[in-house]
Amino acid sequence: MNEVKIKSNNLNVFYGDKQALFDVNLDLNEKEVTALIGPSGCGKSTFIRCINRMNDVIDICKVTGNIEIDGVEINDENLDVVSLRERVGMVFQKPNPFPKSIYDNISYGPKIHGKGETKSELDEIVERSLKKAALWEEVKDRLDEPGTGLSGGQQQRLCIARAISVNPEVILMDEPCSALDPIATAKIEELIDELKKTYTIVIVTHSMAQAVRVSQKTGFFHLGKLIEVGKTEKIFKNPDNKMTQDYITGRFG
Amino acid sequence: MNFVLIFLIVIFSSSLFFYGKSKTKSISIQRNIKLNALPKFYGYYLVLWSSIPALVFLLVWSLFEPVIIKSIIIETAANQGAIFNDKNEANLIYEKIKAIHLGTYFGDIDTILKESAISYSKFLNIFTNSKIVLIFVTIIASVIFSLKKIRNNNKAREDVEKILKGLLFVSSLIAILTTLGIIFSLLFESIKFFSVINIFDYLFGTNWSPQRAFVSDASAITTAEYEELKDAFGFVPLIAGTSFIAFIAMFVAVPIGLFSGIYMAEYASSRVRKISKPIIEILAGIPTVVYGFFAALTVGPFFRQIGESIGLTVSSESALAAGLIMGIMIIPYISSLSDDVINSVPQSLRDGSYAVGATKSETIKQVVIPAALPGIIGSVLLAVSRAIGETMIVVMAAGLAANLTINPLESTTTITTQIVMILVGDQEFDSPKTQSAFALGLTLFVATLILNYIAQRAVKKYREKYD
Repeated sequence: MNEVKIKSNNLNVFYGDKQALFDVNLDLNEKEVTALIGPSGCGKSTFIRCINRMNDVIDICKVTGNIEIDGVEINDENLDVVSLRERVGMVFQKPNPFPKSIYDNISYGPKIHGKGETKSELDEIVERSLKKAALWEEVKDRLDEPGTGLSGGQQQRLCIARAISVNPEVILMDEPCSALDPIATAKIEELIDELKKTYTIVIVTHSMAQAVRVSQKTGFFHLGKLIEVGKTEKIFKNPDNKMTQDYITGRFG
Repeated sequence: MNFVLIFLIVIFSSSLFFYGKSKTKSISIQRNIKLNALPKFYGYYLVLWSSIPALVFLLVWSLFEPVIIKSIIIETAANQGAIFNDKNEANLIYEKIKAIHLGTYFGDIDTILKESAISYSKFLNIFTNSKIVLIFVTIIASVIFSLKKIRNNNKAREDVEKILKGLLFVSSLIAILTTLGIIFSLLFESIKFFSVINIFDYLFGTNWSPQRAFVSDASAITTAEYEELKDAFGFVPLIAGTSFIAFIAMFVAVPIGLFSGIYMAEYASSRVRKISKPIIEILAGIPTVVYGFFAALTVGPFFRQIGESIGLTVSSESALAAGLIMGIMIIPYISSLSDDVINSVPQSLRDGSYAVGATKSETIKQVVIPAALPGIIGSVLLAVSRAIGETMIVVMAAGLAANLTINPLESTTTITTQIVMILVGDQEFDSPKTQSAFALGLTLFVATLILNYIAQRAVKKYREKYD
């Protein structure tokens, strides 16, 4: 068992008057893939958006409770969100490359954080990130073409490369394969397997099979509550909770 | 009369909608057949067929009726011995006849005029009556035609689509033809001007003073006269003044407009936005003449006072005052449009940028603005063409003297202002002075066209497309 990287403690999230998360206590281990499953609207995405404070963007969203990364409280007004997000990258449901060249898509993050001051350093970061995202071979000859011209699967790997480019410790993935075909999905899953050697990964998914394939730990959410969490094998073979059982066997959801 | 007819036609054909609908329903029940379209399409079909031919007929008739009556009346008057040497005199007599008919003529009435007036009212009656009869015939014919079609269960949906397509096509045709007509009328008058003044003397001349251009006979200009003339029509001071004032206006409007647009779209809470956006848009609703006297009576003298107090000579009509007020006038165009384009940049792009740790201003500068750039440039372009075409503010606040200057404190003038000055008052239409207005119009048109073209190319080249 790896060490705990992220620890949430009595996490509550409100959108206006509506409460989206109820007292979530969840530990995520370092260099491991944690899958979050559950029916739509159950709070999985809301939870991972708390980890890099993306919920700040939404005006009416209010977060109470604690989240610690490496023992440091991040749900703190005085915390520097920029450096938090440098450490915690995110990949979204729909590929969202910037309408810039492939090269600029990757170099965007490092430039903002003042990494890669010379052109050759930047080139190196771009190459390394694209290689890690298993995209280098496909795009190395057309780095100046727009990122929006790639196929859906390539775009999503570009977004993963963009997240990697600032060298984060944690990567959050919000249903990264839901807009992709099975072949592109298989590639991304392979990639996730590779990435977990370096990064702590949290993935939200609607595909039970995907959760089984990629994750070591699984949490099941329902109506804003964390119902059950444990080793992926255990959750899918022998869950403690009846609701988890019903969900993974497809009886509701 | 015509309005009553149009009203009746519209009422009648709209009522046919219900008839067509119920008729086809009963047909389908009686003959036990499946209709080719929903009953309402047969209703539309009847409405369109019963109204359009009659309305078109009415339009064509109204266009030609006065012309035909006029030629008939003038011819009969001539046959009766009325004497007129040219077209103008004929027109005069015709107007007299019309006035007698209406009872508003108080001059001497001789027998010819009297006879003509009687026959005028007779013809008017005949034409009106036959118009009504023919419209009836048209309506009946087209209704019979379309009813027959409906009974045979025609493909009403496709037919209605075709008729609507035709209507839309005709509308766009009218728009295009009017534009072409304007361009050609500009072109022909300009050609007349350029046949007198060499186009290069016009384009590169540095002196504009058309009021000096008195020519006794425009068809025969001596070389000495021409030397005098070409000095009066130099375009350079006008384009310089126009661009100068437009530049000052854009210098004011682009930063303020763009920044307020960004604030509205990215920073303002929805409450602030709801209140302040309409307030900014009110600026766009103020008539330009109001801006004009504000510039001329308040801002101009204000600059003058300030200038005097620090020992500068400031003309009370200055390019600065006009440009400044024009800039304020233009702000809402830029801010409101760029607010809209920035808002339409997808949130996912912003999320992507925040997720790698960019701050809000970095995200706006490097992701949102580039993605919205085509729209922003579009709004700036619209503003530039407003600035170039704006007349009233310049007339009132910048003066009329065509100075070739880059001192914003002096008075200057623009192309549009000069067009106004030339065409106000009594004109001889064959003098180069009047024709120069058309040449100016054409040049302005071509300049704006080139500007638009360049901008579109630029937008295409630098656009960052997002989906």
